[in-house]
Amino acid sequence: MINLIGIVGTGAVESTNRKLLQYMKRNFSTQATIEIYELTNLPFFDKPVSQTAPEIIARLSQKIVEADGVIISTPEYDHTIPAALASLLEWFAYTTQPLRDKPVMITGASYGVLGTSRAQSHLRQILNAPELSGLLMPGREYLLGGSLQAFTAAGELTDVAKKEELDRYFGDFMQFIAKNR
Amino acid sequence: MKLIGISGTNVDDSATTLLLNFIKKEFSSLAEIEIIDIRQLPLFNESIEIGTSQLVQDISQTIAEADGVIISTSEHNRSIPSALNSFIEWMSFKEHPFNNKPVMIIGTSIRVQGSSSAQLHLRQILDAPGVDALVLPGNEFLLGSSASTFDEQNNLKDTSTIKFLQSCFKNFLHFIQAAEFLNASEEVHFEPGEYQVSAIGHNGKLPMTITVSEKRIEKIEIDTKNETKGIADTVFKRIPEQIVSAQTLNIDVVSGASVTSHGVIDGVAEAIDLAGGDAAVLKRRPKPQKAMEQDPLELTTDVVVVGGGGAGLSAAACVLKAKRQVVVVEKFPSIGGNTIRTGGPMNAADPEWQGTFDALSGEAATLEEVLSQDEKQIDEEYRNDFKDLRKQIKDYLQNGNNKLFDSILWHRIQTYLGGKRTDLNGNEIHGQYELVKILTNKALESVKWLEDIGVEFDPNEVSMPVGAKWRRGHKPLKNQGYAYISALQDFINNQGGKILTDVPVQELLIEEGTIKGVIGRNAEGRCVVIHAKSVVLASGGFGANTKMIQKYNTYWTKIDDAIATSNSPAITGDGIKLGESVNAALVGMGFTQMMPVSDPVTGELFTGLQVPPANYVMVNKEGERFVDEYESRDVLTQAAIDNGSLFYLIADDKIKETAYNTSQQKIDEQVAAGTLYRADSLAELAQQIGIDPDTFVDTITKYNSYADMGNDPEFGKEVFDLKVQVAPFYATPRKPAMHHTMGGLKIDSNTHVLNKDGVIIDNLYAAGEVAGGIHAGNRLGGNSLTDIFTFGRIAGMMAVKGITDK
Repeated sequence: MINLIGIVGTGAVESTNRKLLQYMKRNFSTQATIEIYELTNLPFFDKPVSQTAPEIIARLSQKIVEADGVIISTPEYDHTIPAALASLLEWFAYTTQPLRDKPVMITGASYGVLGTSRAQSHLRQILNAPELSGLLMPGREYLLGGSLQAFTAAGELTDVAKKEELDRYFGDFMQFIAKNR
Repeated sequence: MKLIGISGTNVDDSATTLLLNFIKKEFSSLAEIEIIDIRQLPLFNESIEIGTSQLVQDISQTIAEADGVIISTSEHNRSIPSALNSFIEWMSFKEHPFNNKPVMIIGTSIRVQGSSSAQLHLRQILDAPGVDALVLPGNEFLLGSSASTFDEQNNLKDTSTIKFLQSCFKNFLHFIQAAEFLNASEEVHFEPGEYQVSAIGHNGKLPMTITVSEKRIEKIEIDTKNETKGIADTVFKRIPEQIVSAQTLNIDVVSGASVTSHGVIDGVAEAIDLAGGDAAVLKRRPKPQKAMEQDPLELTTDVVVVGGGGAGLSAAACVLKAKRQVVVVEKFPSIGGNTIRTGGPMNAADPEWQGTFDALSGEAATLEEVLSQDEKQIDEEYRNDFKDLRKQIKDYLQNGNNKLFDSILWHRIQTYLGGKRTDLNGNEIHGQYELVKILTNKALESVKWLEDIGVEFDPNEVSMPVGAKWRRGHKPLKNQGYAYISALQDFINNQGGKILTDVPVQELLIEEGTIKGVIGRNAEGRCVVIHAKSVVLASGGFGANTKMIQKYNTYWTKIDDAIATSNSPAITGDGIKLGESVNAALVGMGFTQMMPVSDPVTGELFTGLQVPPANYVMVNKEGERFVDEYESRDVLTQAAIDNGSLFYLIADDKIKETAYNTSQQKIDEQVAAGTLYRADSLAELAQQIGIDPDTFVDTITKYNSYADMGNDPEFGKEVFDLKVQVAPFYATPRKPAMHHTMGGLKIDSNTHVLNKDGVIIDNLYAAGEVAGGIHAGNRLGGNSLTDIFTFGRIAGMMAVKGITDK
């Protein structure tokens, strides 16, 4: 079984990105186990002189190192990724660097129609920084606009086309992981 | 010229800050630069604004008042540092000080790139809606290899770099002057008359007639016979109204009808040009005030409930059960209020059930105290109940019963005695008998009612939340406070009730001197008018409104400006103010309750290890116990304040098992994050929290011996459960935080709000923390849920009865 780490890109209490990851966890449970991690309670990056990660970051890093891949689902704040997600990536870059050559799938959900397109393009650039070096699939993206209306009360995606698109993307990601072993 | 400098970094001696300081010093003759430390603010989280809102407002104000802002950024991972990102998020969430503010971007990096990628990201970010800064174009100042560019006096070494920086800076000062024109309003002059134009609509041309006077657009008439009915109707009405009332062409299009919207706006623009005016000027003018944009959203219902917490939702559920329509209006994006934040136990005497649990040591002693208490100290209205209670207790004790005792009267007398307080001015307060009687009589009925709605309670545990004084807490099987809210929400949705979120109610709708509904405003700024026959106020207390607490406080010697709160930030006394607008009487407003065992930073209750008070061991910063841990909340709070506020809850591995708020994973995370301490020995734990190990070990040894004896000669703790003896040991840091406001609107036993003459205010009901008089000077833990579900239900039923009786 493929093991993945899902990261909810915001500390907000209500998050459709969390819903999206929870949906993926359920929906793809025959293909992979997805363990979802929250940004809540993670320390704010402060570039400690020691260059050592706080234990909670170190533990998440270790999980990522052991996993086959990572899914980051990001909202968009001010045309970019939330500071909370940026802070986590700074910890990674500055200390443990667990994303190095790790397959990463980016998804994003937004209330508006653009579906975090600009945040995702920033996130790609960020993950491409030498200290992060995440392995990204070219040409694949998943932008979930109008996310407040995108889920049923049971957390299922309402739009069949968006559901199929995600199935394809996830299938590609599984192959991408296999190729990069 | 006054500028603000922002160093986008989280490191003290960063070159990014050095560069900003250099600019401040070098160009002091050209402009005054005030540098703001962005690290005062925590990592942005839209769900947590406790304790930061004032700071955010102050910083925002400083920026708004400045002529321009210089942002110096480092580069982290090809983007701006999270510290700067977080700061801009704070400055574009509730506050928007960057709107139309001239901004200059500079940056540094350790390597040669000089923050080039970060600066491009920053430009995009500053361009985002909600930020809307005016960023100086060109003039890109990138300082690479920053480690070697400053001399010992922190001046830039290279003269040509300084020259270039100066030219950028001067360009910025010019840019600020140019930007002033953008914000200035321009005059327009028209040739008065009627102008015929036609704009492109969905289905072809729209003939329009625009009438202008010398300086104003007076009238817009549109021939709409060829256009699709439906959404476009709104366009033909709303857009001309907005243009005429605000004299601007900077109008938002109507969603779903953008083509037609643009058709109208372009048509008017064409007419303006024909009339010799300049449409471009009108397009640059500010948008109309949101309030003017749309007609109010009008709703009509039987009962409108203000507030989507436990009280409001149970009121709404009762309205629906009576087959009437209801609308719940919640000011926050999600419902739940404070209820969703509770740990879950709800007090209700259920002797049959409680009698299946063994009594704990010390409980008998507590009951014996009742027998020895002087009856004259009991207020007259409670005296008969007190006598009857004594009989019950005598019977219980004489029969040598080893099972847990309880009765409705015991709950009532505890609520009364627990709430009896005297404030700093010598005013005594205790719970109004009729209200306390209803609370305790109907408590169990409320539990059963909730079970019926779909809340599952744990039959195997009788809880005693902190400050409850007795074990009579019914605790939902899962999800703590969310259990109530989700069950009620499902019920309301399934029964056809309507819940509006994101709509703060601003005033009561009054027609011909009578309350006829409420008026609020939705997230788009649109006025929402809800016509209703009854209004239930269930908007909570004012525990997140420090200013209001300070205004009314007569109980605590001091309410700190920076006091944390366990409340939802929504709880700001709105319902009390609504009541005051119709002359409602207030009761007990000076009495507030602090939660002694709160997270020192966030005010939350459910971090660390929260265990039953029988297992509390509290030590101060000297490592000594300082109070009977079984005491009421206000005694614990005052004791904590007297000991410098910060204290620790000590637990061992066994006590940890009794924590009702956490899991091993959460514990491990909190230990890792440094918000909870864990050690294999007591001495080591003492070192971690910076107290003297010998003192601490001695304190715990003594506590354990008292637990063995069942008697505490130092502080008089009477109820013990576990000792502190099995490693690992834990210390949870705690501080008192604002928790509950007992005062509020004066109500009668049918939840009618009373005016200052004691007369019922027609059509107005109140339930839950917004109302006062029940808990008086101190609320027992677990009684607030009893309160909201009991009086919430009554309010719902009475609101319907008020309609039927008419």
